[in-house]
Amino acid sequence: MDTSEQSVESLAPLESGDLRLGDIPLQQTVELVNIDLPEDQAEPLLERGVLPGCQICPVRSSPSGDPIISVDGSLLALRRETADCLCVRLLTALQDVS
Amino acid sequence: MDELYREGEVAPSNSTPVKDPSHAPVVAMIGPPNSGKTTLFNQLTGLRQKVANYPGVTVEKHVGRAHLPGDQFIDLVDLPGVHGFSARSLDEQITRDVLEGKISGLRAPDALVLTIDSTRLESQLMLVEPVLKLEIPTLLVLNMWDELEERGGYVDDKVLGEQLGVEITRTNARTGLGVQAVQAFLASVSPQQATPPERNLKNVPEGRPLPMMDAFTARRQHVRRIVEAAGFGPPRPSGGSERLDAIALHKLWGPLLFLAVVITVFQSIFTWAVPLMDGVEFLISSSGEWIAATLADSWFRSLLIDGVWAGVGSVIVFLPQILILFLFLGVLEDSGYMARAAVIADRMMYRVGLQGRAFLPLLSGYACAIPAILAARTVDDERDRMATMFITPFMTCSARLPVYALLIAAFIPQRPILGPFLGQQAAVLLGLYGLGIVAAIGTAFVLKRTLLKARPGSFLMELPPYRIPSFRSIMLRLVDRSKIFLRRAGTVIFTVTLVLWVLTQFPRTEVGPPPIDDSALGQMGQVIEPVIEPLGYDWRIGVGLLTSLAAREVIVGTLGTIYGVEDDSEDSIVLQEALQRDLTVGSAIGLLVFFAFALQCMSTVAVMRRETAGWKWPLLQFTYMLTLAYVGAYIAVRIF
Ligand SMILES: Nc1nc2c(ncn2[C@@H]2O[C@H](COP(=O)(O)OP(=O)(O)O)[C@@H](O)[C@H]2O)c(=O)[nH]1
Repeated sequence: MDTSEQSVESLAPLESGDLRLGDIPLQQTVELVNIDLPEDQAEPLLERGVLPGCQICPVRSSPSGDPIISVDGSLLALRRETADCLCVRLLTALQDVS
Repeated sequence: MDELYREGEVAPSNSTPVKDPSHAPVVAMIGPPNSGKTTLFNQLTGLRQKVANYPGVTVEKHVGRAHLPGDQFIDLVDLPGVHGFSARSLDEQITRDVLEGKISGLRAPDALVLTIDSTRLESQLMLVEPVLKLEIPTLLVLNMWDELEERGGYVDDKVLGEQLGVEITRTNARTGLGVQAVQAFLASVSPQQATPPERNLKNVPEGRPLPMMDAFTARRQHVRRIVEAAGFGPPRPSGGSERLDAIALHKLWGPLLFLAVVITVFQSIFTWAVPLMDGVEFLISSSGEWIAATLADSWFRSLLIDGVWAGVGSVIVFLPQILILFLFLGVLEDSGYMARAAVIADRMMYRVGLQGRAFLPLLSGYACAIPAILAARTVDDERDRMATMFITPFMTCSARLPVYALLIAAFIPQRPILGPFLGQQAAVLLGLYGLGIVAAIGTAFVLKRTLLKARPGSFLMELPPYRIPSFRSIMLRLVDRSKIFLRRAGTVIFTVTLVLWVLTQFPRTEVGPPPIDDSALGQMGQVIEPVIEPLGYDWRIGVGLLTSLAAREVIVGTLGTIYGVEDDSEDSIVLQEALQRDLTVGSAIGLLVFFAFALQCMSTVAVMRRETAGWKWPLLQFTYMLTLAYVGAYIAVRIF
């Protein structure tokens, strides 16, 4: 599903704007809305395709409980502190809106 | 690049007179990590590659000569894998400097080969835009094409190339399929004549009023439109990798597997390497004896055998160990497990202020701090990298083992502690390992709260799919490591042993070299005696400590010489007895503690200077560790 076009227009805060990647259960694909991190910490994410509009799926968690996400066919391991700074929204909710 | 040209002269493939080598075109290979860049580089250059160092900057790059049909040659530079050009990590900085032509001695590249992993086409294509902005002729290599097809993915590469405005080709770097097209591109590169235009690589275009995130989003949408036009169908996720991750990152099995891997690496360094090391030692000593027998007794023979041969030999002995370590690390890295290990280690590392990527350098540190410090380049945060390098020498490297072995055998009685499982000697050895770890953790903890204070950074690790490591690239890497190691033994250690030898030979007496306590070295030992007296050492140990500044294990040989000179015997039992006469148990334990902490390794200091581009960090590290060693030894002497 291509959602990138829509996301740019809808960057304005939604009611689900408080949803963070850290709250998402495993295997639930979500769309990234915003990265709530300073630029120097956001840049590595951006370079790896973790951009507003992209689809993220937490596929498993590491033994210490940090998320491992799938983005654009790559697997990325993050810290939960970082995951808590990624604002996301559910794709099902998105369909309801449109 | 003169080093490279020298190599070019010896390579038989270049024996036909071709163009002046200084005009050989330079082509740089870039791409994200794990895109198969190095595999492709190896396909193109084979054994005609080397690691080159450039003075002034901390650059260690792989440079090789590509073998092209028609007696043409190209100098290929393999740059570190990067995701972007923000110059956050040393690797990104190096890549940027090379592309911008800012490294003295290395011409700006005449062309680029940008390798990407086709299975992750969209995110990897993000690199294309900034690279093309450089206006250097570029070939885009869609590598891992085999995997894309196998997993049911598709893209029309012709359309993709047209839309991006770049020459494009598909390869399987592993089998070499499609590499001819890359060679054809290389053959078409002509060297740029005049000085290249001023280049400036920007991760995000400047002058655009967009904030960074929007600039990336815009680029991303551009890429998406292009891949859609090229009919891109993403591949299925790799099922095998998912199943393996279910174990490797499992709550229980994950950490257990991690432990098993660490223990195996240790085991291999310490037990499997021993017969090989004995073999090397035997070769060195017997060849030394053989050379000695062919030479007349003279100062020259003494210099060659007692100085150079023994000194350089004492370091070369560690080659098998280092090779075994790198064999393991190579397999772990190429198979994809290392990234998982870093993820598992991250929480532990995070507690002391480091990150998961520090795990690899710290593990390597148990063999030798030098490759370990170089491995710290993968740590992407500059402060984390500094802290990692700073504590690496606390890991019990193999050079400490001969010293530990000698002192433990001489002073610690072999009594069982835990029945047949743990003897007193083994317990002391374990304790020394533990001491290093504690010092490392404490130091990192303090450093990250003082000198290297920063907001807790993020940790981001890409987990590549699991792959069966390729024998060829691991072997090439081992050859590479051996070369670096032997070059170091041949330069640093050679010089140091030479100086030491000279210091034992002067001032001359009528009959030849002076007795050791009158020699320049002996006198230096007496000068520092007052300093080490509180620890219970006399000038002999002082001399040993001085020589061990070059490399820790040298103290064993030095003490052998000193006591051997006095007793006319160099038997190690005699040495143990002599030490028992001269040292109390307390001061022996103090000496062990001293060796656990002190940075007695000039090569480490030298490599730190290079990696930190200055003397500040190595000097601080040296002083800090020496102080800790002295205080630690002093406390140990009081306690025991
Ligand atoms: N299937 C497949 N594997 C490849 C290909 N190219 C490289 N590899 C493997 O991918 C892994 C990473 O390759 P490497 O050259 O080390 O990547 P680098 O980090 O970009 O230098 C290694 O295990 C290679 O054997 C390819 O075209 N197809």
